[in-house]
Amino acid sequence: MSSATGPIVSIQDVHKHFGNVHALRGVSIDVVKGQVLVVIGPSGCGKSTLLRSINGLETIDSGRVIVDGTVIDSQHKNINTVRAEVGMVFQQFNLFPHLTVLENLTLAQTKVRKRNAEESKQIAHDLLKKVRIPEKAQNYPAQLSGGQQQRVAIARALAMNPKVMLFDEPTSALDPEMINEVLDVMLDLAREGMTMLVVSHEMGFARNAASNVIFMEAGQIIAKGPPRELFDNPSNERMRQFLSKILH
Amino acid sequence: MQGPAGSGAPRTPQATPISAQSRAVDQLANLPYWLIFILLAGILLIYLYSSNETYVTALGRILNGVVVTIYVTAISYISALILGLAAGLGRVSKNKVIYNVATLYVQVIRGVPILVQLLFWAFVIVPLVIDGVNALGQWLTPILGDPNALTTVRSRDIDFTLRCIIALAFAYGGYEAETFRAGIESIGRGQMEAARSLGMSYPQAMRYVVLPQAIRRVLPPLGNDLISMLKDSSLVSALGVRDMTQEARLYASASFRYIETYTTLAFMYLVLTLILSAVVRFVETRWKQM
Ligand SMILES: Nc1ncnc2c1ncn2[C@@H]1O[C@H](COP(=O)(O)OP(=O)(O)OP(=O)(O)O)[C@@H](O)[C@H]1O
Ligand SMILES: [Mg+2]
Repeated sequence: MSSATGPIVSIQDVHKHFGNVHALRGVSIDVVKGQVLVVIGPSGCGKSTLLRSINGLETIDSGRVIVDGTVIDSQHKNINTVRAEVGMVFQQFNLFPHLTVLENLTLAQTKVRKRNAEESKQIAHDLLKKVRIPEKAQNYPAQLSGGQQQRVAIARALAMNPKVMLFDEPTSALDPEMINEVLDVMLDLAREGMTMLVVSHEMGFARNAASNVIFMEAGQIIAKGPPRELFDNPSNERMRQFLSKILH
Repeated sequence: MQGPAGSGAPRTPQATPISAQSRAVDQLANLPYWLIFILLAGILLIYLYSSNETYVTALGRILNGVVVTIYVTAISYISALILGLAAGLGRVSKNKVIYNVATLYVQVIRGVPILVQLLFWAFVIVPLVIDGVNALGQWLTPILGDPNALTTVRSRDIDFTLRCIIALAFAYGGYEAETFRAGIESIGRGQMEAARSLGMSYPQAMRYVVLPQAIRRVLPPLGNDLISMLKDSSLVSALGVRDMTQEARLYASASFRYIETYTTLAFMYLVLTLILSAVVRFVETRWKQM
């Protein structure tokens, strides 16, 4: 079925500059519905920029990004259409500190999806159950641990019923003992068939959940393949070096 | 390094009398002496009022202007908040036209003394606008007839109180614009990005995510500016608007009772600003709890 419908995210020869920095140098990727793509690579290689160009937080200089049939080009058209369909989870959570957990989950539902208060609250409560913190609905973000905040952030993105979820190093701001509670929620999502693009160096997650792993360096994709192939027999020398660094 | 087994009792400070004493000294040192001084000055004034009729007369005259002072302050301040919020949003706008208009406004306001701004609004801008309206009326006589509502607007229709309110509102609006801008910029970029990536438009993200946090942060400077506005409202006396200061000037120049009049005037402003600071502090603590 998925192959018949074609890729849900298609990135085609995308270039992006920040001044003199050529952050993306002709990146092309197709992600099929239900796939989990894990992106790895050294700091500054363009992983965040790649993710952020999919929901238009960065404009691209050339090339195309197509999300579920909607084209985003360098003109940055159609960006609001795409954003509501793409959920994003940030390293720093970015919860709204002046709103309760429940309000964090209902705000965009009511303002963007135009759901009524009852319905959006119901959806919020269901999602809080799903991310395993139903009891925190009335708390403010500052009263939650980092792991709990990140799970709320995931629930907040899911409340919009996105077709694709983007995760930019969702666990790297967390204390080690909280990493797994977030990864478990992400694994659940992957099992349920959510299409996900995940920047993460959690190799356990990549092995368990990833359909494909992409290794980036200096704005380019250097290697791509299923996690077992890529991790166990890295054909690329630079990737071998990188893996030996992050595995130990 | 274990302690001896016998010393398991909780260690309580033994110097209780000393600490109580030093606490009393501390409290004595921390009394708000400045407030006591003001209260004493107030008592002295009350004594003067009971023994000196001139003070009572001066106070009566000055109180005639208190409503105008409060009215001018309140209306100008509320208008300044609205203008300042609009201009502050302009200052962080990516739209070059909006940004430049807002920046021009802020820079002009900051470069001209408020008293000069009052004179400029009263004697330059408002008359020019009235001339313009009249000319428009002339031009439209074939449609509106002659005379019509536009040709008959006269300069005296817009009184000096209103001109002063407009001037103060624009002057303070320029300052508040920078306050709001600083508040908005103090909210991390991640908040706007999170809101936008949930599909909210820029105005929605501003209204529901960034501004509620930014405004809470700038409440202290906004409160200070309300108190400054109360004091600067005395400038309207330069245009003959009968606020407290103008009433005092009129009485003093007629009676030659300068000492009594201006002592009373200064004390009245002090009382008003102290009351206002208490109100501002109360509002701030309430908002912080929310
Ligand atoms: N807003 C920006 N302005 C200027 N340069 C930027 C900006 N954002 C990213 N860059 C540059 O673009 C390159 C790619 O950055 P990016 O954040 O995508 O890397 P990354 O792979 O996510 O790195 P990390 O692992 O450290 O998060 C880097 O050289 C970075 O310095
Ligand atoms: Mg990054």
